[in-house]
Amino acid sequence: MTNDVVGASGITKKYGTTTALDDVSLSVRRGSVYGLVGPNGAGKTTLLGILAGLRRPTKGEFTVDARRVAVLPDAPKFDPWMKAREVVDLSFNLALPGGDPAAVDAVLARTGLLQVAHRRVGGFSRGMLQRLGLAAAVVGDPDLLLLDEPAAALDPAGRREVLDMVSDLRGDSTVIFSSHILDDVEAVCDEIGILNRGQLIYEGTLEDLIRGSSHLPSYCVVVRGSSDGLVALLQRCEWVADVSAAGSTVIVTAASSAVIEQELVPCVANSDAAIVSIAPVERSLEDVFLEVTQ
Amino acid sequence: MTLWRLELVRLFRTHRIWILFGVFALFGALGPLTARFLPEIVEAVGGGVEIAVPPPSPELAMAGYLGNALQIGILAIAFVAAAALAFDSRPEMAVYLRTRASIPQILAPRYVVNMLASVVSFVIGTTIAYVGSAILIGAPLLGGTVTATLLLSVYLVFVVALTGFAASLVRSIPGTALITVGVLIVIGIIGLIPQVDAWLPSSLVGSFDALIAGGGFDYWGPLAVTIILSMGSIAASIALMERREA
Repeated sequence: MTNDVVGASGITKKYGTTTALDDVSLSVRRGSVYGLVGPNGAGKTTLLGILAGLRRPTKGEFTVDARRVAVLPDAPKFDPWMKAREVVDLSFNLALPGGDPAAVDAVLARTGLLQVAHRRVGGFSRGMLQRLGLAAAVVGDPDLLLLDEPAAALDPAGRREVLDMVSDLRGDSTVIFSSHILDDVEAVCDEIGILNRGQLIYEGTLEDLIRGSSHLPSYCVVVRGSSDGLVALLQRCEWVADVSAAGSTVIVTAASSAVIEQELVPCVANSDAAIVSIAPVERSLEDVFLEVTQ
Repeated sequence: MTLWRLELVRLFRTHRIWILFGVFALFGALGPLTARFLPEIVEAVGGGVEIAVPPPSPELAMAGYLGNALQIGILAIAFVAAAALAFDSRPEMAVYLRTRASIPQILAPRYVVNMLASVVSFVIGTTIAYVGSAILIGAPLLGGTVTATLLLSVYLVFVVALTGFAASLVRSIPGTALITVGVLIVIGIIGLIPQVDAWLPSSLVGSFDALIAGGGFDYWGPLAVTIILSMGSIAASIALMERREA
């Protein structure tokens, strides 16, 4: 058993003249949670479909070293006359024939569906169907779990529960998690891959992505009262690349972290502004994502 | 829940089984009734005009049953089987199934349950027609009825197999059912060529009246062709669905 559950090399997928995936190579470590992010139409669902064996690449090779693979589509639907327990039970029996059936109720309880387990799924909301899809996916104890926008239709509490479930799977299962919601990816993923127009433009840890981005370091200075004097002073400093102000908040940008860390505090101390706080501007995944995909 | 139980549950919860039973049972009852009371019916609606109708006979009762039951029954079988076999029509459900079971595992219960439901419905309809005829007119030839029922059952199995093959060509349920009915019509048209007709599955339908009337068994050729075509349709549907992307 290798350390990588998924290894893909040069995957290209074309639909007629449209290229959905273009020479994508990626590897996913066993037991990790891998976030697949990208704008609409980037190729995330196509890539998950290929890894699940539901689609064939036009070119390229991939290996999936997992006995049980479960997939949760972005908008799961089931035959409307099936009851929720039957959906999970069927999934359990197909994945783990002869297993302990108590697992079915345990997963239904975990996903908040135990009270409605006897109901037909035809009347379920999209959020309930998403929970049911997740229950059906995890009940079979998958080695590899492919989740396509698993929290997209859920309310904030439901989203939190799904993210907690995904976090809990870390170590036991390998999870590939596609999402538009970058906060979710930031919250649970060990590594991410950014897909844009069918190309994987980044693969690695979030920390490396944010650290390695081309943006200049910025600090946020909050003053009491007017910031005009401080802004005028900063604009005269040669090491300052940019200054912007909104009320009592001033954002200062410099060419490098070393310069701003050395120069900012003495400069602010020389002004007559009453300082409330000075802090580096943390860059979010969203900032970096927008930067690399534009 | 297993894939086999899923198919049984599908038939009952969607009430499709009652459509199949209902069609064949209804015509099973109407066939002998119509045959027995046809002279009275014609006289009542004839307005004094004398119309010659054949006298009631068991053969007429069974022929009346089969003629009506097969037309509507095959349509019903094609749509009911298509709803189960065209499982790619609902892509999300297809993903659920395809990532958990192989295509033969998915299709086997769908084929078998729908074939059984079709045959059992037909047998129930034939039994009602036989008993009705025996009570109202006279008992049809038992041996011929049993043999003809077996041959027609093979034909209905072929209809379900053909529906599965159609489901591997298109994804939609109505499309699958319409292709099935279209192919059966084409087979009927090809059957207008006498040299070919004796070998086609459609000639099993023609066996019904002949066998009940006491005719000899001369259907090994179409029986073999129907079985081969059924097996070929099933094998082709598995191969095509395995190649199809979800």
